[in-house]
Amino acid sequence: MKMTPAMKKAQENMAPGIIIAEGFLGEENKSIKDMMVRDESEMSKAGLTFDKVGERLSYLMEEGRKGLGEPVTVDKKWLVRVIDPRGKLPCPFEDGIFRKLSAEIELKSSGEKILVTDLSIHLLKQHHFIEGEGSRFRMEPEIIKRVLFA
Amino acid sequence: MDYLTAPIVVAIIAGVLAAAISIVDKIVNNYGEVNISINKGKKILTLNGGDTLLSSLASKEIFIPSACGGRGSCGACKCQVISDVGAYLPTEIPYLDKEEMGKNIRLSCQVKVKSDIDILIPEDLFNVKKFNSRVISIRDVTHDIKELVFDLQGEEITFQAGRYVQLVVPPYDKIKGTTQRAYSMSSKPGDKNVIEVLIRLVPGGIATTWVHTHLKEGMEVELIGPFGDFERSETDAAMVCVAGGSGMAPFKSILYDMFENGDIDREVWYFFGARTTKDVLYLKEMMDLDAKWENFHFIPALSEPEEGSGWTGETGMITDVLDNYLKTKIDTDKAREGYLCGSPGMIAACNKVMTANNIPLDKIYYDNFA
Repeated sequence: MKMTPAMKKAQENMAPGIIIAEGFLGEENKSIKDMMVRDESEMSKAGLTFDKVGERLSYLMEEGRKGLGEPVTVDKKWLVRVIDPRGKLPCPFEDGIFRKLSAEIELKSSGEKILVTDLSIHLLKQHHFIEGEGSRFRMEPEIIKRVLFA
Repeated sequence: MDYLTAPIVVAIIAGVLAAAISIVDKIVNNYGEVNISINKGKKILTLNGGDTLLSSLASKEIFIPSACGGRGSCGACKCQVISDVGAYLPTEIPYLDKEEMGKNIRLSCQVKVKSDIDILIPEDLFNVKKFNSRVISIRDVTHDIKELVFDLQGEEITFQAGRYVQLVVPPYDKIKGTTQRAYSMSSKPGDKNVIEVLIRLVPGGIATTWVHTHLKEGMEVELIGPFGDFERSETDAAMVCVAGGSGMAPFKSILYDMFENGDIDREVWYFFGARTTKDVLYLKEMMDLDAKWENFHFIPALSEPEEGSGWTGETGMITDVLDNYLKTKIDTDKAREGYLCGSPGMIAACNKVMTANNIPLDKIYYDNFA
């Protein structure tokens, strides 16, 4: 599938060592366009929309920040720990700079966890990009569904 | 043989182009010898130009603090450049405010040394050393915090309690390059042959994952330090200290340093926030210190104590507990100073509570590296 120049640039920026040491692509060699098309289909199969997931993640990140670095229980359902290290990261699509906030969100009833960052939430909401398979911040649609919408 | 002609021609053209690129690179990027003048000529370093200011200085054993190891993602390696090194790069701008730009503060990992350059750095950085240490002890102090002790193998470190070191993480698994992260020292300044740090596992964190899953006793590790300006003031104002998690480290160093050196007349209040009993570290040690030192008050507080844990201490967010004590228990007639160790969010929240309780912002101290 054809990539726009902006996408090509974003794919370059996602390689290991450009913005973050491991990059955003995981083990995949596909174009990000192909990855996005596949993941849009996966999200749809799981009955999720990017807006709905983004909204829930932003809410949990905001609630988690109230713990000031310690985990907090949110809505009696999730245990959220937000890490707030120094520094910022640019979006690979070059449309913003984000604090290095990361959150571990655990569904208390199952113990299943997902790991998100301020930047990965932006990538999901604005670009429908959930990172490549094998990336430590990839958000697998089925896992998102289990943890966020159980 | 005609079928060989095309590949041979292509190979020759590629070879010529590669040679041309190599020659152009050598000419264009050969800046020759350059001088870095530090603090108006107090120290002059001569080296080959072309590398970043951060790396150039490090090659001559002058270490500017950097939490990301030169990737331009932490904004820690700020340095005042008083000669012209060109316009600000887009990679620097997010980390600098107008005042800093007015003083020509630059990110040393982004500025390339292409000609002679004059810089100003804190004198303390001349004392920063690189240590080839060996891990002599790794101990779990909570379910996700490890206490690590490094032997400096004959070297000595001189520092004020409250300072931090940078731990150099070698490449591992998918991580190709080295990574550096800053950790406050929890050891006392009197223990010059070892460095102790506390490292909490950050899910997905490159350095903490390595420490928690790959680092073993006996391994050699590079440490660089001491850095920072976090230390107790030389006043007799009451110290109001706040930490959570591995933020315990600088306070452990400061408190034992004070106690062992007989600096015990000063009032010290230490608020430590955690979620449950399993998240509190050194509880017994701090309670023992509280019992032995009349003017020291240790106030641990749990935000979500487990049912049946038997917890009888304070509960709630540490900022609420702090606010209550500042209003009702800590003498408001005496001067008070704030000391914080935690994330930018925790520091901002504590600053708010302290200033609302008449502790001036310039009397609240912290290292902003988190």
